[in-house]
Amino acid sequence: MPATAYERLVYKSPSEYHYMKVCLEFQEHGVGLNTAQFKQLLVSALKDLFGEVGAALPVDILTYEEKTLSAILRVCSSGLAKLWSSLTLFGTYKNKKCAFRVIQVSPFLLALSGNSREQVLG
Amino acid sequence: MVRFKHRYLLCELVSEDARCRLSLDDRVLGGLVRDTIARVHGTFGAAACSVGFAVRYLNAYTGVVLLRCRKDFYQLVWSALPFITYLENKGHRYPCFFNTLHVGGTIRTCQKFLIQYNRRQLLILLQNCTDEGEREAIRKSVSRSCLLEKESAEELSDSAGEEAVEIVE
Repeated sequence: MPATAYERLVYKSPSEYHYMKVCLEFQEHGVGLNTAQFKQLLVSALKDLFGEVGAALPVDILTYEEKTLSAILRVCSSGLAKLWSSLTLFGTYKNKKCAFRVIQVSPFLLALSGNSREQVLG
Repeated sequence: MVRFKHRYLLCELVSEDARCRLSLDDRVLGGLVRDTIARVHGTFGAAACSVGFAVRYLNAYTGVVLLRCRKDFYQLVWSALPFITYLENKGHRYPCFFNTLHVGGTIRTCQKFLIQYNRRQLLILLQNCTDEGEREAIRKSVSRSCLLEKESAEELSDSAGEEAVEIVE
């Protein structure tokens, strides 16, 4: 009997992407950034720490709010450590001190919709 | 046993300009490779690769370079080599590129490979050369290298075994 060809897919981790909810805080108030500038900021943070190869890491901004400067980012699971470490070490933007606050990280996008830390009881 | 393991990258500097190879200096080359790693892999790459980095051997006539790096980060160094496009010396820019010939764990394995590689290159040169005088000179070098090969083969069969002596810096 001829052997039938079959394909076996093995998933080592539950999902290929990791989703991060981050918020950018500036030391002074009144700094505005549009989506393109925010993306440029991310790329320059990666470029500082990991060079040209790091800057080429595919990071997607799924949502961005200009008022609160918060965003949901998507990155490949293998690149999560690189992105998170470059966000941590990012200090200045145009001579203004700033910091990234990472609010939530999850391999599933649905988990970012509800944050148990911000839940108000009663 | 606990020790720092290294990887030795045997590379060849290929350039159209003959002056490029003659102006090779180990410090200039080391600085160039470090700058390229910093550009390609950022501060992380520069810091990771510069700890055990050294230019161990340099031949200005053939353009052969032996670089040493830590085993954990040798891939960062290796991947940064194709991004070197020119060599700058005294204000002159020579376009060139690096060809990686061999990656070895010890200087001895790289030396063995280099000897075999040079022999093969001599034969290729013999085929391609046009001048009769050059042809005679290359034939002499080829016959001399064959004699040396026979001598070293006899030495190896005589000795009991090669001890793995690592050159400790």
